[in-house]
Amino acid sequence: MKKVTKLILRMILYGFLAVVTLFAVFPVVYILLSSFKSNQEILVGGVRIIPLEWHLENYVQAWNLANFGKLTFNSIFYTVVVVAGCVLTSILAGYVFARGTTRFSQVVNVMLLCSMFVSIGTLSLYPQLSLAKLFGLNGTLWGPIIIRVFGMNATQVFVATGFIRQISKEIDEAAQIDGCSFFGIFCRIIFPLCKPLVATTGLMAFRTAWSDYLLPYVFTISAKEKWPLVVGVVSLKSSGEAVSSWNLMLAGISISILPMFIIYLFLNKYFISGLTEGSVKG
Amino acid sequence: MSRILKKSNKLHKGNKIQEILMITPMTIGFLMFSVYPIIWVLRWSFFKYNGYSEPVFIGLDNFVRAFTRDSAYWGSLKNTFLIAGLKMLIEIPLSLLLAVLLNNRIKGSSFFRVVFFLPSVFSIAVVGLIFSILFSAYNGIINAALRELGFISRNISWFSDKGHAMFVIILVSLWTTFGLNMIYFLMGLQNTSKSLYECSSIDGANEIQQFFHITVPMVAPILQLVLMMSVLGTMKMTDLILVLTNGAPGGSTEVVMTYIFKYFFSYGESSSKEVQFGYASAMAVITAIILGIVTLIYLKVSKKMQSIDE
Repeated sequence: MKKVTKLILRMILYGFLAVVTLFAVFPVVYILLSSFKSNQEILVGGVRIIPLEWHLENYVQAWNLANFGKLTFNSIFYTVVVVAGCVLTSILAGYVFARGTTRFSQVVNVMLLCSMFVSIGTLSLYPQLSLAKLFGLNGTLWGPIIIRVFGMNATQVFVATGFIRQISKEIDEAAQIDGCSFFGIFCRIIFPLCKPLVATTGLMAFRTAWSDYLLPYVFTISAKEKWPLVVGVVSLKSSGEAVSSWNLMLAGISISILPMFIIYLFLNKYFISGLTEGSVKG
Repeated sequence: MSRILKKSNKLHKGNKIQEILMITPMTIGFLMFSVYPIIWVLRWSFFKYNGYSEPVFIGLDNFVRAFTRDSAYWGSLKNTFLIAGLKMLIEIPLSLLLAVLLNNRIKGSSFFRVVFFLPSVFSIAVVGLIFSILFSAYNGIINAALRELGFISRNISWFSDKGHAMFVIILVSLWTTFGLNMIYFLMGLQNTSKSLYECSSIDGANEIQQFFHITVPMVAPILQLVLMMSVLGTMKMTDLILVLTNGAPGGSTEVVMTYIFKYFFSYGESSSKEVQFGYASAMAVITAIILGIVTLIYLKVSKKMQSIDE
């Protein structure tokens, strides 16, 4: 009798987990599969998930006609520069906050902490844009790049600070006695020890940059040829072209989510630790 | 001896200069992109200014307008709190339950963890787009499935009345964060020592008693963190609303950030609102203060709760 109740409980448990699994993956899987359907089939709708016929040419058309090739290139460019820049600046800032002794860096650290509570979110986009206009940075992706790289992402910096604090101080002191300067210790000792940190902050920056929508949108509204993927895909919905080209929109969405999907499958450990550590420590 | 001291002193000074130089570029960036915008909105909130005409100083008129004549602003604020509240009512129990289930080292626990976290990695804007396709009135799969199962006889137009649209917004924002919050709870649970459970079961506590008397108190600090982030995150929600409903129908699902955003930028084809930087700035200031108050109250209450616990 006890065995039977245990079995039933187990079935309820897995049934519940299966429902939640369906909830989590269905939207993504549905979009990925539907991106192979013909426009006709998408317009008719229905409950069929697997395409009737597989139309690989949706991707070819999206790539060539809807200009997704160019958009993808822009996204890759934006992401690579932001990731490289963010990894460097956040680890540098983390090192200064963890090991620095000056009043100046303490004040900056406190200000950064306060900015997590006093902030106007996306409403700072207009002032940022008007500032960038002074430097002629509107209409390009360089504005968003500079904002992302030098604007100090509090979460990334706090992850870096926390990580570097855990590195034993004795190593620094030994190097200091041997005549190594503050910057020298960073280059020769701390940075080489930060490989896991590079992975975590890099992935966090990758996620931010690849997913970025409003920031690049307001900077490149009128410069269509500079759009990253997400901006281009979303614009298809509001432009009214969508009705005639659902298949292209679906292919576009798939192109924009697939890299994330694949990287997540392989590196999910780093993703999860990066996103959680940051906010817990911050 | 004195020469060595002098040298180390010099080195010390050099180190300080190096330290300041290393953090300077990021400090400039921070001042320009985080501090300057706040000063900017503070300043322009006292002006009538639309970017073209000469700005006119009008004192507190913008604030008076927001408080007395703009019921749509307060409506958007109400929507924001409504979404945050309803979402939390579902999300917190769901995430906590999933965390407790997965913490028991059942078969496939790490698989479920990875799957539930998956929605958190995608671009919020693209997620909005995906769900607007799923919930599309004519050819969306949700309507088709509901019809197939016999729940509805006619297609529901999800985005043409407020109730349905709010339901979709809450569902989507739940989709994007429940996995993340589950991971937070899991971390809290893993810090709970096994011996507590063993002791209590020797004393005859059953699993439900254990849940309320051991698990809940142990995850309380994490719960506070999750609540805080959930509220602040929802308050700042912008992309999802812009892409999913863009305020439709008729601005009734506008949240506070999107409502103000549209006074800064004209967004979407249906936008007929002209930009008004001065008024938008005043609303941004009011919203920032409300956000600050919410945070402060929250911190106060959670501190009080902690002292009661002790």
